[in-house]
Amino acid sequence: MSIYTLIPLLPLTASFILILFGERLQGKGHRLVIPAVALSFLVSIVAFLDVSSNGPIRVDLYGFLDVGRLSVDLGFYIDQLTVLILLLVTGVSTVVQVYASRYMIGDLRHSRFFALTSLFTAAMTLLVMSSNLLLTFIFWELMGLCSYLLISHYAERPSAARAATKVFLVNSVADVGLAIGVVLTFLTFDTLDIPEILAIAKSGADIPTLSITLLTLCLFCGAVGKSAQMPAHVWLPFAMEAPTPVSALIHAATMVNAGPFLLVRLSPVLVLSPTAMMVIATVGGVTALFAALVSSTQTDVKRTLAYSTISQLGFMTMLCGVGAFVAAIFHLIAHGFFKAFLFLSTGNVLAATHRHIEEEDTKPSRAIGGLFIGALILSVIPALVIFSGPYGYLWLSQSFSAANIALWIIGLATIFFTAIYLFRSMTTIFHRSPPGAKDGSPTVIATPFSAKHVISVIVIATVMVAVLIVVWRWFAGFLSPAVGGLPIQANMELSAWILVPLATAVGGWVVAYLGFLRPKTLETPRWRKKLYVFFLNKGYFDEIYDVFLVRPTIRFADWMWRRIDQGIIDRFVVMLSSVSIGIAHRLGYLDSAVDDRVTSVGTGSVSIARWLGRFVDTAGISRTVDSIGKGVDASGQAARRYEPHTLQHNLLVVVFWLIAALGFFYWVEG
Amino acid sequence: MSSLFADHMLTWMILVPFIGMVALLFVHDRKWVLVTTLATTLVNAVLALQLWMSFDNLEIGLQFVERVEWMPTFGIQYAVGVDGISLLLVLLTTFLPPLCVLGSWDSITTRLKAFMMLILLVEGAMLVVFTALDAFLFFMMWEVTMIPMYFMIVLWGGPNRVAAGLKYVLYSLTGSLLLLIGILGISLQAGTFDIPSLAGHDYTPDSEFWIFLALFLGFAIKLPMLPFHTWLPDAHSEAPTAGSVLLAGVLLKMGGYGFIRFCLPIFPEMSHAVAPTVLWMSVAAILYGGYMALAQVDLKRLVAYSSVSHMGFVTLGIFSFNNEGVEGAILQMVTHGLTTGAMFLIVGQLYDRTKSRSIADYGGLQQRMPRFVAILSLFAVASFGLPTTSNFIGEFLILVGVSYENFVFVVLAMGGIVLGAAYMLWMLQRVAFGEARTEAAKKMTDLNTREMWTIMPLAIAVVAIGVYPGPLLEVMDSSVTFVVERLALAQ
Repeated sequence: MSIYTLIPLLPLTASFILILFGERLQGKGHRLVIPAVALSFLVSIVAFLDVSSNGPIRVDLYGFLDVGRLSVDLGFYIDQLTVLILLLVTGVSTVVQVYASRYMIGDLRHSRFFALTSLFTAAMTLLVMSSNLLLTFIFWELMGLCSYLLISHYAERPSAARAATKVFLVNSVADVGLAIGVVLTFLTFDTLDIPEILAIAKSGADIPTLSITLLTLCLFCGAVGKSAQMPAHVWLPFAMEAPTPVSALIHAATMVNAGPFLLVRLSPVLVLSPTAMMVIATVGGVTALFAALVSSTQTDVKRTLAYSTISQLGFMTMLCGVGAFVAAIFHLIAHGFFKAFLFLSTGNVLAATHRHIEEEDTKPSRAIGGLFIGALILSVIPALVIFSGPYGYLWLSQSFSAANIALWIIGLATIFFTAIYLFRSMTTIFHRSPPGAKDGSPTVIATPFSAKHVISVIVIATVMVAVLIVVWRWFAGFLSPAVGGLPIQANMELSAWILVPLATAVGGWVVAYLGFLRPKTLETPRWRKKLYVFFLNKGYFDEIYDVFLVRPTIRFADWMWRRIDQGIIDRFVVMLSSVSIGIAHRLGYLDSAVDDRVTSVGTGSVSIARWLGRFVDTAGISRTVDSIGKGVDASGQAARRYEPHTLQHNLLVVVFWLIAALGFFYWVEG
Repeated sequence: MSSLFADHMLTWMILVPFIGMVALLFVHDRKWVLVTTLATTLVNAVLALQLWMSFDNLEIGLQFVERVEWMPTFGIQYAVGVDGISLLLVLLTTFLPPLCVLGSWDSITTRLKAFMMLILLVEGAMLVVFTALDAFLFFMMWEVTMIPMYFMIVLWGGPNRVAAGLKYVLYSLTGSLLLLIGILGISLQAGTFDIPSLAGHDYTPDSEFWIFLALFLGFAIKLPMLPFHTWLPDAHSEAPTAGSVLLAGVLLKMGGYGFIRFCLPIFPEMSHAVAPTVLWMSVAAILYGGYMALAQVDLKRLVAYSSVSHMGFVTLGIFSFNNEGVEGAILQMVTHGLTTGAMFLIVGQLYDRTKSRSIADYGGLQQRMPRFVAILSLFAVASFGLPTTSNFIGEFLILVGVSYENFVFVVLAMGGIVLGAAYMLWMLQRVAFGEARTEAAKKMTDLNTREMWTIMPLAIAVVAIGVYPGPLLEVMDSSVTFVVERLALAQ
């Protein structure tokens, strides 16, 4: 038992206590969960220091499965990658829990909420710490369950329940890929132990590229689901039905980060297959651009944020696809912290109403400055990371894909649109007055931007960029032993290329600002309108899935049940049984006919007796016969009355005969 | 005394339910009838645990063997014993009846004593089926289990109980007849009814196919495999709660047990020959059962069709003929007993409150029944094999096992798991979340202590096995290896 076991164990224990005694601890859940998560953050810091001085740590706990060729040990593998994500997960989770302790006051399902967020955190930490791919998969799924239960937190809203089911189902379809990938990995490497797999992959052992490509793509399927890449991205906006702190957790700390994590964790395997890398980069790039475009058309702040996360995740995936694993993780961590910050600072506003960007009635918030910086950084980071220093050359001369230019353009376009929508949403949430529209006057009223603001923002941005570059250099040096792919160049000089994306980002801001100043005109070209409507409707993905996938499945199931199960198989059996019932009826006629004869003999004799009695001994015999008749009647009635109880007697008779038969054979034969 | 107990442990276990039945004769008060039955079933559960504790995991052969001559002229013995495979099923068989008694505590209002006797009779007979080393004894008790189930369905069942009961008996009798033919076929050729020695005999090639087919169909109907499954939704949905639990939890497992005990070791070549067909049929059952469940509007039928899907996994594992597959299948049988048993208990708890099994009559239970919804969610996700619950371990092992045979099966079977998630979560959404759709659903009360006690042991077992399956797998490892090695030799 290592001290690092505490990292998942603390939130896990808190969660179990709340699950078991939640009713008694109602309203006090946060008092248990916050210290647990905070402590596990502290332990994560210890782990971080340990790993940065001593290298990866391995902790073995117990044998989980040992069947045939399959042997799975539950344990932790803590390397540079793990500790960084651990810091992010536990750190953000702590902040979110503190925030939630106020946000959730008076909530009906207070304990349930904290039990689940705590379990969510624990599952994510276990996922990143796990030393075995099967366990990674297990906690991957457990996180899915937590998200399902948290999204259905406001259970009385039918939309929440529907959203939860949808989220889980999209994920579980994608997880089929992951599960198949795990089995394929086992068949290929003959082990599921992550360090061993990495060692085999790095050693350059002779593994057929086809099987690597297949298993990588299958695993990537899972990442597509969890990290909301196209075409599985539809779930993330639905996840917004959860309380805001949960959204912050999902977008920043847990859940969506699992995808890039998995890709980076298995990066030495990934790089063995150029085809898979190509697919990953393409999916990521397309998602990044598409989501950025959708995001810039949405009018609902929560939805804007959701699509912005999708876009950023697409960016990370694309980075993985081009082999820039370190950059992907850097972006993941930066994005995680800033998204959490964005969520928590907009949370109160969002909680009050389901806010729409182009609606009025908003008050300026004190957080406005901070928000702007957050938004700014978010739009600049990918640009900075991807084109800076060590990765500059990847973009110009790397061997992974032939579609460099396309990715280039996608990357820049994404940065451009990211800048636009972030600017747009951030200015309008806290805008003093509506940007035109409502009262019919198309004039623009003062924005929070004066020249002074612009200058201060630029100054802050410059400082931030400088700080980030310093951090980035340290970061790249720290993380590079844990990832595969091309070694990062020792010389980490900034290249001039960094100016291109930075300029693009600034260009986006400018365009957004100008668009903001310009009064809304109705004369936009038709193709632009069409495009706008297309992206406004999020590319119609939900509708397409509903019409072509969900409904036909249910209808088909219903049809199969009625036509095949009931119509063919069951009818055959019913026919069999009705035939046998018919036969039984025939036999029954025979039976009752016999019965009738017997009864008529009985009644006959009684009437004969009566008839006789009338002549012979009216008084005596008649009385006797009558009493017999009554007796028969009475016993018949009694039999009917006691009929229920006779069953057990019959049963006992059966048992008695069984025993008797056993005994008989034993004594007679033996 | 102690040796009398220790040497005849299995016989004691088998006798306890029958002793309980006799004891029930002298008890008349309703409460004491329940307590007596509960005590009897609990004693058996403790005995089973004791059996597990004294079981030697490493020994390959049968343990706790007892043999008494019964009909020497025909070579029929009273012979019982357990190996790892039957031990797990014995544990399952003794684990569920106490919960059945607790589950029927208030809901059985008429003829209570008879009902309790039936539960005990099923338990006793099932224990013999899973421990019998004599084919005749096995068959006899196989038949005995059918009768109490029939009465449970017909006397305490739902509105269509008579039709359902009839269907159940028709199917079961057909299966039994085929089984009888099969057992007589092998036993007459081999000249013994002793199951372990049946495997050593060479059967004539002409008869081999027909005997195998008879045995196979007999077990396939009980399990049930795909085209023989329509008795199951009716019987399950019309049976009273305890009946459904026993039927789904224990009785179905006789089919899977039969495959492992008879078909595989006695006819290894034939098993190899039919395996591809069976694997395809299993995958079909997994997907078909999932689709059927998706279409159901009745809670019990939904669970019943999910059983068809799960049993598809069992045959998929058994007929992949390797340790992973077979152990996965046995674990799947055990965990299916736990989760499906729990699902039926849960539906029974709803039924007790509103007398309705229709999904459309509920909704919004989360507000008034948080405990209930928590438990329902747990078993719903456990039922489609969410990791950290027991079903996942079984399903994963089966998938690994079958992946050695043909990878297509893995992909298709995974489709069944997605369907499982779909029908279970959709059910959960309609039952637990949203708004209450009927007046009755608005006045529901949460689970009381007795109901929690009914369900908690299952919840604990499901999570415990999901997190630490090691002990159960160790128990059967050497027995399964024995079976699998024989099969490998035959190839």
